[in-house]
Amino acid sequence: MRNMNKKSLLGTGLQCATLALGSLLALGAHAAAPGIAGPSFSLDAAATRISQPNGKYVYAWGYGCDPAATTAPSFLPSNLIGFCNAAQLPGPTLIVKEGATVTVTLTNNLPASAGNTSIIFPGFQVTTTGGSAGLLVQEAPNAATCLTTPGGCNTVTYTFTAKTPGTHSYYSGTQGDLQVEMGLFGALIVLPANPPTNCDGGIAAQNVLAKGPTGEKDFRLAHAAYDHPSSCYDREYLFQFSEMDDNIHTAAEAQVLADQAAKTAGASGCTSPTGCLVVPTEPYVPGYYMVNGRSMPDDMDPNYASMYPNQPYNGNPHMHPGELTLLRIIGQGRWQHPFHEHANHVRVLARDGNLLLSPPDANGNTFPAGPLMFTTTTTPGMTLDGLFYWTGKGLNWDVFGHGYAGDPSKCIPDANGYFTKDPTAINYYEWCGDHNKALEKNPTSPQIAAGGPVTLPDPSIVTNGAWYSGTPYLGPEALARAVGATPIPPSGTVANSPSGEAGYAYMWHSHNEREITTDNVFPGGMMMMMLVDPRAFVIDETN
Amino acid sequence: MKSIPRLLSLLPVAGLMFVAVDAQAQSFRVQCPTSTPFHPDGTNIKCQQIAGGDGYATMGDGSTIYMFGFGPLSGLPDIYKGLPGTELNSVFNTTLGPDTGTPSTLVGMPDGNFAFSTAFNGGPFMGAIGLTDDLGLDPWTGGTVYAVGQTVRTASAVYMASTAGTSGANPPVGTGTISDGTTGLTWAYQGTLLDGHVDPRPIMDVGIMNASQPAPLIAIDEDDELFLTLSNVGMIMRPDLFEQHTVHFHGYPNASAFYDGVPDASVAINIGGSFTYYYLAPDAGTYFWHCHIAPPEHLQMGMVGQIYVRPRQNKVTGNLQAALLKWESAATTPGGIAATPAAITNQTSVTAADWSSFEPLRKRCGGTVTTAAGALVPVDVLCTTPVPPSNAATRTTDANNAAYTTTGGFAYNDGDGSTHYDVEYPIQIHGFDPNFHFVGMTFNPESFNDMKDKYFMLNGRSYPDTVGGHNCAPGGDPLPACQTARAANNVGGVNVVAGPMETQSVDGTPHASQPIPTVINIPKGGHALLRISDLDVSEYQTLATLGIPMRVVGLNARLLRDMAGNNMAYNTNSITLAGGESIDVILDATDPALVTGQKFFLYTPNLDHLSNDAENFGGLMTEVNICSSVDPQTKACTI
Repeated sequence: MRNMNKKSLLGTGLQCATLALGSLLALGAHAAAPGIAGPSFSLDAAATRISQPNGKYVYAWGYGCDPAATTAPSFLPSNLIGFCNAAQLPGPTLIVKEGATVTVTLTNNLPASAGNTSIIFPGFQVTTTGGSAGLLVQEAPNAATCLTTPGGCNTVTYTFTAKTPGTHSYYSGTQGDLQVEMGLFGALIVLPANPPTNCDGGIAAQNVLAKGPTGEKDFRLAHAAYDHPSSCYDREYLFQFSEMDDNIHTAAEAQVLADQAAKTAGASGCTSPTGCLVVPTEPYVPGYYMVNGRSMPDDMDPNYASMYPNQPYNGNPHMHPGELTLLRIIGQGRWQHPFHEHANHVRVLARDGNLLLSPPDANGNTFPAGPLMFTTTTTPGMTLDGLFYWTGKGLNWDVFGHGYAGDPSKCIPDANGYFTKDPTAINYYEWCGDHNKALEKNPTSPQIAAGGPVTLPDPSIVTNGAWYSGTPYLGPEALARAVGATPIPPSGTVANSPSGEAGYAYMWHSHNEREITTDNVFPGGMMMMMLVDPRAFVIDETN
Repeated sequence: MKSIPRLLSLLPVAGLMFVAVDAQAQSFRVQCPTSTPFHPDGTNIKCQQIAGGDGYATMGDGSTIYMFGFGPLSGLPDIYKGLPGTELNSVFNTTLGPDTGTPSTLVGMPDGNFAFSTAFNGGPFMGAIGLTDDLGLDPWTGGTVYAVGQTVRTASAVYMASTAGTSGANPPVGTGTISDGTTGLTWAYQGTLLDGHVDPRPIMDVGIMNASQPAPLIAIDEDDELFLTLSNVGMIMRPDLFEQHTVHFHGYPNASAFYDGVPDASVAINIGGSFTYYYLAPDAGTYFWHCHIAPPEHLQMGMVGQIYVRPRQNKVTGNLQAALLKWESAATTPGGIAATPAAITNQTSVTAADWSSFEPLRKRCGGTVTTAAGALVPVDVLCTTPVPPSNAATRTTDANNAAYTTTGGFAYNDGDGSTHYDVEYPIQIHGFDPNFHFVGMTFNPESFNDMKDKYFMLNGRSYPDTVGGHNCAPGGDPLPACQTARAANNVGGVNVVAGPMETQSVDGTPHASQPIPTVINIPKGGHALLRISDLDVSEYQTLATLGIPMRVVGLNARLLRDMAGNNMAYNTNSITLAGGESIDVILDATDPALVTGQKFFLYTPNLDHLSNDAENFGGLMTEVNICSSVDPQTKACTI
């Protein structure tokens, strides 16, 4: 809970950029959906800089926690240690309970040239106090427009009832083509008032028990996304997609600095409510494509990493087999981005916080009616809640390599065919239909099932990736059985340590493939690795 | 921060012990077993071989464009005809014999000569290019000491020692477990001498500069096992690149990271090497595939292809809903492995018992359970096939007892016949930026920020090539259809016949660069299934129809149905896809007002995409014809 000083950060820009380049395979915490707790928020909008993996430190505007606020923000989930600067990208994730009366006080700390600013909360009935009239919504005036007002005039307060649970976006309703591009956007998460009790029992409770042997912590904001029994989840992640044309940012900064210089020299400077910037926002040629304000590989560093003081949120999803994972996805910015989730489909639960349900049956039961998607398009301003899991069901081979002579492993199917009977088992949630089925015809190790359909390639004709543990099998225990003491190159990889993690890695990325670049360089942009981790590996989302 | 608790600590592992190692001391090889644990009788095992490399294609304005791409290395005559090159193991495991000639007779393949001539191995050769007898294995010899797992060959087969010791007097003969003499060893039959060993010369002769757009078509049925071998032949025009390639099975549910094709998360295949991807066919649907090495580059450059999985329901002759319910019912013996019931492989009537023996493969996902708190929740929130409300549809009659045509199939396991079609068309949307391709052919740094497609393609062709065909060579084209046309016209002019578009490569020979036309022929009163996938890397694309309605029945390889079983299919006249998406559209020609011979257009309302670079009128467009009948195999239209 430290509020860092913006000016001191500007001085360390070079250092931050250097760190970013070196962080490609940094060990670290995994994503959650971190944010600050409501129902009252003191936000501001201010200029800042954001770090890019190519070393650029781009001028931007962001929402943040008002440094002048009397109460410090409290961070969620509570086992993360957060910070909230005066400006960040994306803005602070606002977390409230369904039914709460939410008040957001916005202070305009943007430079004089930027003029007024505001926040719109799509989907909510917002009332305002103070500020000055804008086209879409009441705005927080720029301080430069009301220098003579006693006590300051540069605030506006928005109040609304958080009627609909789910994931929502918020963004500037003032000169959107420029202000949203500059970074004035964020997420609002509304937690259900009455999460269904089945989300605390049955398989959900068993999944919590399965964390016991490793002492894994729970990082959920709630146990259900909505007040609906089909919306339970075991883990959650928030992904905000935005793109950036840094020419716009450079032009804006030059004019802001020129205005400040003129003012220092004695001129009156910009005092217009609409600002004084003449920055063309077309033609639009973005070079940066970000997830939660960071480009790959920075997005895989921890939440609240010190290298990115103004980009606190990461994109680094991890999950165990069978865990229902809630994806909160938001399209920010002005373009659509097709987000391709490798490994399985996503059941779309809701759009813009509206549950998609079947008509009630004779007993009044409703069921999810959203589509199954392997590519979830993010449309500007649109949000999507979806459920995802991975179990390996139907591969026709045992991902643990079980089935060798003397193998003591068990897989006792539950009603759905999964091994959920023993939460302490290393193969908890294995799909029993494939238990003991060999992959390899003649594995080199006697502790891997033999007689399967395939022969693995000679190691010399393939190149191993940084997230490849070295065998087709899941987890360090299976890997040790497969290769013994012989390390498989690239041994000692820190991206997916063979001895500690040995997970299955999947790329989650924009399928407008040119968006997985950073300013013309591949790899970068809207890309991250999702890890399906064995039960032995502790998914730790603290920072 | 991270710890492995004592409970889950690593098992002590004994030193490495070699039980058996397959002969694999070569880089190129294929895998296509004659039997597997799942299909011990060898049925439903399908195989395909592809080359990763480069080549050229012809754009709608006539210009030649350089590509990175995949080319066919098996099922060539089928590929040449625009069909899937996925073959049964019995077809794949045939040998062409040694490559001969200077230059090789195989260069430029698959050309008309090769595809249809009986000069090669007695007929059109559908097998794996390069596959040849494995004479590199040690021959079995009597009186020799063998260890368990050692592999030998006889005159016609490969065997592996099941016991250790000194071999007997007579070589093992036949299949199963065989003794080589009364005091000798026992041997396990491994298969014929075609054990995956290949001669690299034909692979290079055929695979070099033979990329096609899109990549070779792959089609399988549910319950098939697919063995897809990628052989990396290198990119001739880019000797500075040592590029690996991979295959990503886009959209496969519960994919394995090992076979997911992401080089960072698995292995990538070096030049001169082969890798065999293995999957049990997932739930039915329209998927697609592509290389996952540096995707912004390799996809834009052309390494994109199509794969679709046909549903089990195609094999059902009785009530569809009953069959679906049977698959959905809870199995009593998970973990068991069932042989394929003969009735299913023969695609005749399927009994309840047949299906229950299939059940352990992918068990129950439909239906609901009541929680302790009394809530009713879906068994599986990602369930692919929610059971529809009761109805009487069967394989040949719909719910109203109206007859289906006996040909065609279903897009999904719908249980009510709602996704029935008479003829299916895989259609892949893609775009090429000629500036990027030029830079990609030279050794210059590529710009991703400025990427702008100028060619917009359906199955690798822009209009009017989408409805075009094979341009017969003026000097006499070996393709039989060209000879027929030449004889009929008796002129030396240009004859265009059904067949692939060809592009002359730097080796001076024509290569089948774009084998798949997109002429959509629908029988009057029937339905056409369009399996549309989009792998454009920079823009969204819209396709619209004029005059004939579209019905969207599937999205992202999944039946459009809510979890209560309600049909969520919808009618529209346009669909919009991002790169990385697929959609299943049924074009409905049941309107009695339609007349055979009528022509409609499927085109993009992104009007700037109706162009071929500087040339107006072209791009993302094709024709839809109303026919009196359509051959479901060749898609030929009879007016």
